[in-house]
Amino acid sequence: MGRYLLRRLLESAVTLVLASLVVFLGVRALPGDPARTLAGEESDPATVEAIRHEYGLDRPLPVQYATYIRKAVSGDLGRSPRTGIPVADSIRHALPVTLQLATFAIVIAVTIGILAGVVASVRRRTPAEWGANAVSLLGLSVPNFWFGQMVILFLAIAYPIFPASGFVSVFENPVESLRHLLLPALVLGSALAAVIMRQTRSAMLDALTADYVRTARAKGLGGAQVIFGHALRNSLIVVVTIVGLQLGALISGAVVTEQVFVLPGFGKLTIDAVFTRDYPMIQGVALVTATAYIAINLLVDLLYSVIDPRIRVGGAVI
Amino acid sequence: MPTTKAILKSSTALAALAVIVAGCSPVSSPSTTQSSGTDARTAKNGGTLRVALAAEPDKLDPTLARTLVGRTVFNAICEKLYDVDSKLTVVPQLAAALPEFSADGMTVTIKLRTGIKFADGTTMDATAVKTSLDRHRSLAGSARASELSSVADVAVTDPATVSIKLKVPFTPLTAVLADRSGMILSPAALKTSGDANFATSPVCVGPFKFASRIAQDRIEVVKDANYYDAAKVHLDGITYKIIADAATRLNNLRSGDVEVLDAVAATDVETLRSDPNLSLITSESLGYQGLTLNLGNVDGVGKAPKQLSAPYAGPVATDKRVRQAFEMSLDRAAINQVVFRGQFSPACGPISPASPFSSEAAQACAKHDPAAAKALLATAGVATPVKVSMVIGNTPDARRLGEAIQAQVKEGGFDLQLQPVEFAASLAQTDAGKFQIFQIGWSGRVDPDGNIANFVRSGGSQNICGYANPDVDSLIDQARKTPDVAARRDLYGQVITKLHDDAPLIYLYRQKNLTGVSSKIVGVNVYGDGLLRFGSAGFAA
Repeated sequence: MGRYLLRRLLESAVTLVLASLVVFLGVRALPGDPARTLAGEESDPATVEAIRHEYGLDRPLPVQYATYIRKAVSGDLGRSPRTGIPVADSIRHALPVTLQLATFAIVIAVTIGILAGVVASVRRRTPAEWGANAVSLLGLSVPNFWFGQMVILFLAIAYPIFPASGFVSVFENPVESLRHLLLPALVLGSALAAVIMRQTRSAMLDALTADYVRTARAKGLGGAQVIFGHALRNSLIVVVTIVGLQLGALISGAVVTEQVFVLPGFGKLTIDAVFTRDYPMIQGVALVTATAYIAINLLVDLLYSVIDPRIRVGGAVI
Repeated sequence: MPTTKAILKSSTALAALAVIVAGCSPVSSPSTTQSSGTDARTAKNGGTLRVALAAEPDKLDPTLARTLVGRTVFNAICEKLYDVDSKLTVVPQLAAALPEFSADGMTVTIKLRTGIKFADGTTMDATAVKTSLDRHRSLAGSARASELSSVADVAVTDPATVSIKLKVPFTPLTAVLADRSGMILSPAALKTSGDANFATSPVCVGPFKFASRIAQDRIEVVKDANYYDAAKVHLDGITYKIIADAATRLNNLRSGDVEVLDAVAATDVETLRSDPNLSLITSESLGYQGLTLNLGNVDGVGKAPKQLSAPYAGPVATDKRVRQAFEMSLDRAAINQVVFRGQFSPACGPISPASPFSSEAAQACAKHDPAAAKALLATAGVATPVKVSMVIGNTPDARRLGEAIQAQVKEGGFDLQLQPVEFAASLAQTDAGKFQIFQIGWSGRVDPDGNIANFVRSGGSQNICGYANPDVDSLIDQARKTPDVAARRDLYGQVITKLHDDAPLIYLYRQKNLTGVSSKIVGVNVYGDGLLRFGSAGFAA
């Protein structure tokens, strides 16, 4: 186990270095000069040159990269040349917003998706199933930015129940946090809810015709007990797998949702950094994202063996 | 459903009628220079105003700041030696009077108000002014250095007087000191935070003082008890929220999540006007939008013009008659109607009709006449259609504008290819001279020098046209030495006449500053400089 962990950590470090290199070169391949963009309206060649020098953009790429990595390793992600605010501070503010939004979206998606899936499978060929199918189709086909604008128009402007924008942390004020996050989480979770609904329905239909369900019914168990205690329980494995697979898509979807609801999250930070050619910010965001993905993957691989001891890691049973 | 072409045609007809009625030239002046949120209601004390900004300000350090949107935030926290009033006349703010220029124009004496304190409680005096002006002039990466390049030395005469020695006479200095170059920073705060960190905790004189900032999200300022006019400030504070998308900004104003909306999109004006809980403040912008033509920018901005080579060479660069024909093909009124729903004003020059420096010559305009444009091309001996490309932004508005221009110049004998490019990339591309025509604008400055010199003077810092005309240079230099407004007005009129003849830039339209305000708020003022002024604003009593 120790050797396996060491190997995985080394692999992770190499992956991180490669990821940072790709991002470093990628942002520099974008058309547009960050120094010129920073110079803004009142640019003149001397100022642009001074900015380029100040941020080391006039130095050779390997030197720039080495400086960046050296500082990053010591925890210094640099400052945004545009606002002068440390990149790490911006990420520290933005990350919890996206995490809370994504978590809330998953809760909503799972709740709606499972309930609709169960209803659609149990009430087959009834208006309930058709309704659930229609909602699922809508969830999959309606783009987030349009759905977001619509819920704002109805639930924030026509009937001002929810705020149209802003963020309150759940740790500061849970009620206000719920009010601010409900609409964006609903919008972000809509597509995931649709996928979960369809998979739950399909898995439930299989389960409801399975032998063990027939046996359970024959033993005299009530409808609810059969559905929730047996059929649904076995169908949930699919749901858990989907939620895991869709997590990345959810974070990407947050980019659009955060723009529509003006949530100061990771997605908004990334988009704005790209448009302003804020190299340190783009690199910082990418590095943190890559680290998170690698860490989660490693954790999941390790958890497999904890959950199911039959799964071996590193060629040996733990 | 009417096609774009049909709309364009009918709008063209309407616009042509309007032009005939208006008598074509010059462009009509606006009836007022500003429209503010003046209201019979009074403001009560208290409350935090929420303002939606269209973009994120850059560094909140007057020496280093470069964005237009940042000036709006500075307006609440950093007062200047001079300001403009509703008529765009420069008036003293932290200075006690307008500056006194010596007879030879080489020395400027500025008297300061006394008893004024910075937000940190320290005193604003001549030493603070010298510290600030020296920092603006010399700090590495200063965005103010070029504005203050005419200044040779700043000296403290007494605690309430500074004397500025100039390298050359430069009368636009007064207007320069009515912008960020005139903002005075607390020397004590500069010492505490250091140059690198001043932007994260700026300290100046203002009705409000900086409280906090979260990148890409919000900037918070609170009422400053040390402010000399604190008794007149009603609000407890202001939260500036950054909302880039126009539709989202409007939604937030309509839902009551913000009370003031900066930069209303022209296409949203009708929606805003139809809402009884909202009002619209409009004022003429000092800036312009137009077309910059590449005449000889080969080696990059600021370098001596040369002859262009493929693919950027062509008769547009070499023959002014071709450029004049291009301008004659354009129907500015139709562009305003079709692209901006008539919300903006056609413009033919760099000076706003609202400016005290405006004149008949400054507002003269080439008549829209596609047939004459074709005849001029024939005289020039060029084969039609003349192929030419234009770099435009990749926003929906920029594309609509590009398509309208494309359709119009086709009638005048041009085959215009549009090149939509993302904004940051377009700046780098056109600075390097890799373009034929570029659709770009300028936010505008109070003094005409700021709207003309850098763009058309030989070697000007923003002269991406590669344009050089010794007569234009000479007239601009004369205007810089002349303190008399009427004489300067005449000189700028002559500059613009020459620019119309050479056509290195084709001015198209002047945006309006459109500000949406909730009916709960009174006392918001927006002048021609487009800055939101909240010093006397408040929630209606």
